Amino acid sequence: MDHTFHLPNSGHNFDAKASKMGMWLFLYTELLLFGGLFLVYMVYRELNSEAFLLASFKLNVWMGTFNTVLLITSSMTIAMSITALQKGNKILSIRLMWITILAALGFLIVKYFEWGAKFEHGLFPGMEHYQQLPTGERLYFYLYFFMTGLHGLHVIVGAVFIMFVIRGVKKGSVTPERYSLSENAGLYWHLVDLIWIYLFPLFYLIH
Amino acid sequence: MSEKENIHISSYKEHLSTWLALILLTFMTVFVSVFGAELRTLSVATAMIIATVKATAVGYYFMHLKYEPKIYKIMMATVLGLFVFFMIMITLDYITR
Repeated sequence: MDHTFHLPNSGHNFDAKASKMGMWLFLYTELLLFGGLFLVYMVYRELNSEAFLLASFKLNVWMGTFNTVLLITSSMTIAMSITALQKGNKILSIRLMWITILAALGFLIVKYFEWGAKFEHGLFPGMEHYQQLPTGERLYFYLYFFMTGLHGLHVIVGAVFIMFVIRGVKKGSVTPERYSLSENAGLYWHLVDLIWIYLFPLFYLIH
Repeated sequence: MSEKENIHISSYKEHLSTWLALILLTFMTVFVSVFGAELRTLSVATAMIIATVKATAVGYYFMHLKYEPKIYKIMMATVLGLFVFFMIMITLDYITR
């Protein structure tokens, strides 16, 4: 009788389906996390629609559009990197993952300049100019910094996750037959894109 | 091996056309917002509808929901249903105050 017991994570048991299901379950909780924030936004926007409108003019639509294009493109490259890995083309897969990480970096750099400009104008919660704004505009910037900040954190986590996949492909633990990790990193990255798809029009385009 | 079941390899072409659709929709929303400023309520509704179309495309093609077993769609519908339920409850709360 075989009494060897393998821990689920020991590498002996490999269950691609369970792995993907687990990732999706996590993504559903993420959707509800941001969903809750969108509901807060919805309520405060209804109560302060004029102030939200005024405050939204202080954001740079073109920077936002550029970042949207970056995220959509990186979403495509990560999806393609999984296709490449499944087809056995490891080099192309790694290259496409690096392009995705570069896009993530680009996104964060643009965000840095965007946030930097807001800091200069004293619009960060707690700053002097912020305190003088009407309540509605304060709420808008509070939500703007909180939601894009939380999203930015997801961008960083997603990029690090993809780096782990690249390491896995190089070390041989992620292979064309065993691509779960790359698929899960892809799913996470798409979620980042998905949330931005709503953040962008809600904060930049409501005028 | 069990993971050999249900394997679908999406083509590069499919990803590229999804990307093209997403880019076009993005510029459409920006256009409506920047140049249709006088139609404010219309532009917000349009922006949300376009965002949902984009989100569906990302989920369906990039996240492979189209090729996943039914259970993923059922779970997604449950989460979205829950969100809509919260939204309705909160709206009802605020309009009846």
